[in-house]
Amino acid sequence: MIGDFSAIVARGLGIRRGRRWILRPTTFDVTHGVVGLAGPAGLGRSALLETLATLRRPSAGDLEVLGHDVTRRAGRRAVRARIGLLPARFAWVSGLSTRDFVAYASYYKCTPRRAVDAILERFGLSDAAALEMDMLPQDLRLRAGLAATCVHEPELVFLDEPLTGIGDSEREELIPLLRGLAPTVVVTAADPAELAGWCDRGFNMVRGRLIESPGVPLPRARVPAGV
Amino acid sequence: MSDLGRVLRIDARRTALFLAVPALSFLGAVAAWRALLPGVAYWDDAVAALFSSVCLLGPASAGFAAWVALREHRLDYLRGLTARSPALGPLLDLLLLGIVTLCAYAVVALVVAAKTMIHVEAGHPKPIGPLAGALTLLVYTVIGYLAGRLVPRLPTPAAVAVVTYLWGAARPDAWADLLPPPGVGHVGLFAALRTELLAGQALWSFGLGTVLVTGYLWALTRHAWLALPTVAAAGVVAGTTLWLHGQQRVPPVVPRAFAYACRQWPLTVCVHPALRTALPSLEAGLTPLATRLSGTPGRFVRVEHRPDNDFPRPGHGVVYIHLSDLSPGYAHRAEQEIEISLLDARTCGDPRHAVGARYGALVSAWLLDEAPPRPADAAATRAFARWDEQRRRRWLRAHYARYHSCTLRARDFREP
Repeated sequence: MIGDFSAIVARGLGIRRGRRWILRPTTFDVTHGVVGLAGPAGLGRSALLETLATLRRPSAGDLEVLGHDVTRRAGRRAVRARIGLLPARFAWVSGLSTRDFVAYASYYKCTPRRAVDAILERFGLSDAAALEMDMLPQDLRLRAGLAATCVHEPELVFLDEPLTGIGDSEREELIPLLRGLAPTVVVTAADPAELAGWCDRGFNMVRGRLIESPGVPLPRARVPAGV
Repeated sequence: MSDLGRVLRIDARRTALFLAVPALSFLGAVAAWRALLPGVAYWDDAVAALFSSVCLLGPASAGFAAWVALREHRLDYLRGLTARSPALGPLLDLLLLGIVTLCAYAVVALVVAAKTMIHVEAGHPKPIGPLAGALTLLVYTVIGYLAGRLVPRLPTPAAVAVVTYLWGAARPDAWADLLPPPGVGHVGLFAALRTELLAGQALWSFGLGTVLVTGYLWALTRHAWLALPTVAAAGVVAGTTLWLHGQQRVPPVVPRAFAYACRQWPLTVCVHPALRTALPSLEAGLTPLATRLSGTPGRFVRVEHRPDNDFPRPGHGVVYIHLSDLSPGYAHRAEQEIEISLLDARTCGDPRHAVGARYGALVSAWLLDEAPPRPADAAATRAFARWDEQRRRRWLRAHYARYHSCTLRARDFREP
């Protein structure tokens, strides 16, 4: 069933790579909260995320994001200002300081300069603002990527394997941060176990099909949202 | 610094701008230097050298632009999901790539212009030539960038560089040589590039570049108004293509009016003004030959430099030389040409006169101050070697007709 206030509504959404279906036509919706999407790498999980983030056209079906039909240009344009995407192993500009990297993103997100300092502080990066991105440890680099992705305070954020390679202690600190990035956060992982315990809802991608996992616990009571 | 200035600075660093300019400049300068005629400075040939550099610089720029587009693709998560126009990122990239390309081209043009001016310049600079080269180079850059954007794969930069290089090196049709970059090779000293052809080529490049950029921007933004410049530019490309196709019957170069540069004494030697630096050595090299031929029907007092396709019959004291450049040995080549013109090609080519030709070679070696050939007749060779300069000259006056027709005999060398 598709809710009235869904952030994402997909009807018959299908994605093809060449002649092969990465995602067979399927209907689903994403409401508020943290939604997990699990599936092995290389089988279309990132392509689905890019499609939902409007960077890739669906091969079939309709897709509405934040109430806009993103199969149309006007809808995509309207939505892009309100969403954020952080790809797996995201690229940055080598030799650039954390502040300049976030400022670079803020220019394209059309946000004022003061938003850069605000988000650096919010993500605990004030002390690392002058350090080059290449010098940062992995968890701080992830925070910088998140800051660049969310400098415009998006309503919907897509995160592709954000916690891959992050140590357990940093992971515990990062999860509340991830949960509070936006009203709706879609996060992926190769292993469903990585998402268990902190996602409100979960999907698995299995052989080109998107299957909702019924057993994902609702952690809102255990893990505080926001930071 | 403004926000846009900061972004441009970051993008400039990202596109390795400060490394790309010297690398491309070096590549283009080497290509242009190799294409210039040795020892000659001639503005039309300088333009041809610039086109030669574009044939190498263009594919390199296209490959570089494709590589930049490939790197930019990885930042789509920031630049693609923008509240600004989706065309902003590509336009900034194209702006920076255009600056890189034009800076490198400017360095190459300066090197070529400096060489042309350091040597004695001839002709007049034609700004439309460098402009056509610059616009062609920008088209290469746009093609490379769009290829990198549309096919963001690792082999794309190399593939773009190879394909664009092949376009410059091997055209499918002869008339396609007129399309930019034009395959003019060298421009001879007595010829000039056709200005209207250069203008047509500049317009063609401008039109194609505009079609590509506005077409891509339309694909990104779907702004209806972009259709107007795209269609207009496509019309320019179609029109200039048809016009260039119609020009294939006319050579890309035309004869050029010029005034000889001459040296009057002791021999009058007149050359194309681009070769005026050669006058002293030509004078020095040709005067002994003129002295040895004095008093014979082959005597000459004036040497004229002529175009490669112009072979007037020597006579009335005038001989002709053909020099396309001043590569080492040019003065001796001029002497050889005059000496060959003394011989009757019809009789000397006759196999029945092979013996006479061998005796003639003995005389030719003396005229050209070369080592005598392997003796066919030792007695004749010994006799000729014993004679002093004055005696040889007297002998030549007496036997010039036989030398001219390659009919010299052994007895012509016997002591009287």
